[in-house]
Amino acid sequence: MRVALLIALVVGVLTWLPTAALAAAPPSLKVVAKPAHVETVLGDRFMITTEITNTGAAPSGEILAHLNVASIEGGVYVDPEDWSPNRSQQLSLQPGESRKLAWEIQAVNAGHFAAYVAVVPFGDKVAGNEPLMISPLVDVAVASKSTLTAGGALPVVVIVPLLLGLAAAGVFYRARRRGSDR
Amino acid sequence: MTLQVAPPAVGTVHDVRAGTQRQSRLVVVAEQECRDLWTSGRGLILLFLFSVLLSGVTYLTSTNQALNFLEQRESVNLVLQFAVAVGVLATLVVSADGISGERERGTLETLLVTPVPRRSIIGGKLIAALSLWFATFLVSIPYVWVLARGVGILWLALALGFCVGTLVAVGLGSIGLLISAACNSNKTSIAASIFLLLILFAPTQLPAGLPQGWFFDVLLRANPVASGLAYISSILVEGHGWTQDMALLITPLLTAIIAGGALILAGPRLVRLTRGVNAG
Repeated sequence: MRVALLIALVVGVLTWLPTAALAAAPPSLKVVAKPAHVETVLGDRFMITTEITNTGAAPSGEILAHLNVASIEGGVYVDPEDWSPNRSQQLSLQPGESRKLAWEIQAVNAGHFAAYVAVVPFGDKVAGNEPLMISPLVDVAVASKSTLTAGGALPVVVIVPLLLGLAAAGVFYRARRRGSDR
Repeated sequence: MTLQVAPPAVGTVHDVRAGTQRQSRLVVVAEQECRDLWTSGRGLILLFLFSVLLSGVTYLTSTNQALNFLEQRESVNLVLQFAVAVGVLATLVVSADGISGERERGTLETLLVTPVPRRSIIGGKLIAALSLWFATFLVSIPYVWVLARGVGILWLALALGFCVGTLVAVGLGSIGLLISAACNSNKTSIAASIFLLLILFAPTQLPAGLPQGWFFDVLLRANPVASGLAYISSILVEGHGWTQDMALLITPLLTAIIAGGALILAGPRLVRLTRGVNAG
């Protein structure tokens, strides 16, 4: 009797396990980012696209694709909000379904950066231990554009007060001469 | 001010003709006031000082090596706000001298015996004061160009500065003339006007890190200068559309309408000699 119970228990556990494991399995997502490399100039805007595919057998549920930018050279401080004001897109994918997401980015610092998209589960059912899906890095090289220089401002900064000062002195002198003539 | 105006036509009291005459007298007064301001050198000296200040701010901004692309928009905003604020201050100072100055110099009596309606005198003085605002705006164009050409916001910045600055200048110029009419002494009038301007500017100088609740918002929106400058910032720095923060222009618009309206309505009673004033 004990043996029969034990066998029944083992069989029960063995038949239940795959279903439970399947239900808890995280959605299998593949994230691809294009282009792989961007060369741009400070201040210019460019687009990157990511394609998220649900390669698993279960629906993805609600997921959030989130764009991030990091400096990968030197000590440039990056505030991703400056680079793109809309950095999150919410979606859900059925098995085999894929979705292309476009991200508009403005290069606000000069240097060498990496842009990437992280896909995280979304909603109140998130346990907190789900794995993240990350796209490959998009290598972004931003050349500096020096538009604001002391040399560029100097002519205006000197000439305008000089001309106005001369004009004021001339008018003042003329007014005083006219006054003394009377 | 010595004014030479043709005597009014006697007998014909046709409305259109009277209107045209009033308009032409306003132009005559405005011309004479502008001539007084610009040929005496007073206006040019104020413009020179304005350009020196703007040069200092522009040079300091452009030599700051830490500025990046986004902060350059902020530097355009800073210089434009400075230009609008100081231009409006100059307008207020000139308008504050308008009537009390004439009283103090003893020229108001001469002005009052000329065949010019008192409303035209007030209007002419306001136009002359506004001419200083337009001149300061013209002077600020090359400075804004130096900073804004690289970020492609030159025309936006200039259009914004002109519209908001003119609106604020009309309102504060009218207030300056009202204060000037109420004061016997030029010193009192100018001091009161500058004090008023300082009160209006004070909220704009609070550190950005301070917690800003509803009270700060009310203070900002009730203040024609601060709300006008906040409108400029919202478009230039935050990239909002022209209509998104239009509510910030309500106070400058109301100030221009109320103060300008009070000036037109009360004008005839405001331009008068007062007891104890040296009449020359």
